[in-house]
Amino acid sequence: MLSFLLRKLLVLIPTFIGITIAAFIFIHIIPGDPILIMAGERGLPAEKYAELMHAFGFDQPLWKQYLDYLWQLLQGDLGKSFVTGRPVVDEFFELFPATIELAVCALLFAIIIGIPAGILAAVKRGSVFDHSLMTLSLTGFSMPLFWWALLLIVFFSGYLGWTPVSGRISALYFFDDVTGFMLIDSWLSGEKGAFKSAASHLILPTLALGTIPLATFARQSRSAMLETLGEDFIKTARAKGLSPFRVTVVHGFRNALIPVVTVIGLSVGVLLGGAILTETIFSWPGIGKWMVDSIFRRDYPVVQGGLILIATIVIMVNLTVDILYGIIDPRIRKKGH
Amino acid sequence: MSDIVNEKQHSALFDAISGFWTEFKQNRGALYGLIFISILAIVAIFAPILAPYSPTEQYRDFLKLPPIWIEGGSWDYIFGTDALGRDQLSRMIHGSRYSFYIGFIVIFFCLTIGIVLGLVAAFTKGFIDNIIMRAMDIILAFPALLMALALVAILGPSLENAMIAIAVTYIPHFVRLTRAQALSELGKDYVSSSKTMGASKARLMFINVLPNCMAPLIVQATMSFSSAILDAAALGFLGMGAQPPTPEWGTMLADSRQYILSDPWLMTIPGLFILLTVLSINLIGDGMRDGLDPKMKSNK
Repeated sequence: MLSFLLRKLLVLIPTFIGITIAAFIFIHIIPGDPILIMAGERGLPAEKYAELMHAFGFDQPLWKQYLDYLWQLLQGDLGKSFVTGRPVVDEFFELFPATIELAVCALLFAIIIGIPAGILAAVKRGSVFDHSLMTLSLTGFSMPLFWWALLLIVFFSGYLGWTPVSGRISALYFFDDVTGFMLIDSWLSGEKGAFKSAASHLILPTLALGTIPLATFARQSRSAMLETLGEDFIKTARAKGLSPFRVTVVHGFRNALIPVVTVIGLSVGVLLGGAILTETIFSWPGIGKWMVDSIFRRDYPVVQGGLILIATIVIMVNLTVDILYGIIDPRIRKKGH
Repeated sequence: MSDIVNEKQHSALFDAISGFWTEFKQNRGALYGLIFISILAIVAIFAPILAPYSPTEQYRDFLKLPPIWIEGGSWDYIFGTDALGRDQLSRMIHGSRYSFYIGFIVIFFCLTIGIVLGLVAAFTKGFIDNIIMRAMDIILAFPALLMALALVAILGPSLENAMIAIAVTYIPHFVRLTRAQALSELGKDYVSSSKTMGASKARLMFINVLPNCMAPLIVQATMSFSSAILDAAALGFLGMGAQPPTPEWGTMLADSRQYILSDPWLMTIPGLFILLTVLSINLIGDGMRDGLDPKMKSNK
């Protein structure tokens, strides 16, 4: 198991270096001089310009700039934002909990509804439930996320008036950031109504972000279940006289887990991508909105650092999924690939 | 002699197509999808004839007129007018052209570049294969929409740049698929016999192996067609895709965003058509999968 882990980790190193190079090149092929963009319309005196060029290292050759950047990155320094002047890493980790909170809620929503629904559809194959679930899930899968989010706002906030339109919590509540997760912090604060406010702000973004993964999970768990339910060992289990529940869940589902885990792992990238739209629409102060704002403000250190951090998270999640395969199915880690 | 061979090939192709159609027909969803897309294609082709007004002409006397099925609507403007008094129906009709434009251009880039890189990777193995596949891993590590957004920011916001950015994020899937298919074909007898007969590498790649890799690639291309429409609309919605006054559906949605609570139909119509288009293409993709590869027919 340890050598399996080590092998997987070693493969990540070139990918990680590639990610840093890609993000670095991204930013450096942008037309326009970053210093002049920072200076704005009034421009700069020549000597101040040279000073800034030197301070940011832009007067160095490109490969030297990259190596400097990589060296700082390995020490946990991704540079400072042009706009706020604060370290990119600090800003990222300040906003990251908001994104995790949203992504985890959306993922849970998708898993809790999507997987049992998919299993049920497989067991009741060809039934009305099966057909309507498959139609619904294909519709969910085809849904333009931003439109779905706006529809939710129109219906739940506009028409019914049940939920707030944007933000993480009502401005009425003040309490300390303990964990950065609004649900936990508001609950810890003990303030009356704070938790309810945080939860009501979270509902629509969760629904919006979770719908597409939900549709994917339902489809994937259905087809994975159909495949295993046709196998011989299921017939054996039935013939042994095991209860239908035991046959489906213990024998069937366990063997259908690999494709399902794969899809859940892959959906993390989809969730982070979807967070860009969801956070923008609901003014959710997470890294998705932060990235979009930075791209529009041409805050290059933030875009560059943010790209690297997000891509690193994605490859770490993929690694975790790979390791999970080895745990679910011991045959995989023996195979050597 | 060669005529006989040709004839045989033709009838084999004909058999394959008619077999495909028999399978495809049985999937009712796919059939509905095909009908919707066909109608939309006709609308797109004849847009200038079908649209009652110009898509950019502003009728200042009729701002935000509701569609016909809502009280206050008028037969002159069946889908109503937008905040600048432009006819929504004409904009929707012209906008359908952009959906096809986006879909076709993106899958054209994906198929050509993806197939070439995938075949090269499968045929060279070793160092070049490694370089290509690691590069694809790197692209895949960035969430597609984020990468597309960053690319468009670099290239400058426009529909064409949005399509390039979207194609870049999809290419790795095509490369992986082509490579995997080609590798499984390379071990087969017909490839080695072709090799012994002295076929060149290019002939092996494109004439012998590639046709046998096409089925999954066609399904992937269909699915990418619909996601390209979605992603281009998302970029348009964020202001990084087609620029106003282009009647692209995502951009139209973005324009109507500030009126979602006062005039919700403004954003309902473009969104609904994006959904229907994407849904239809996905249904067609499902049907194609059943038709091209009956083994994968697990959904029935």
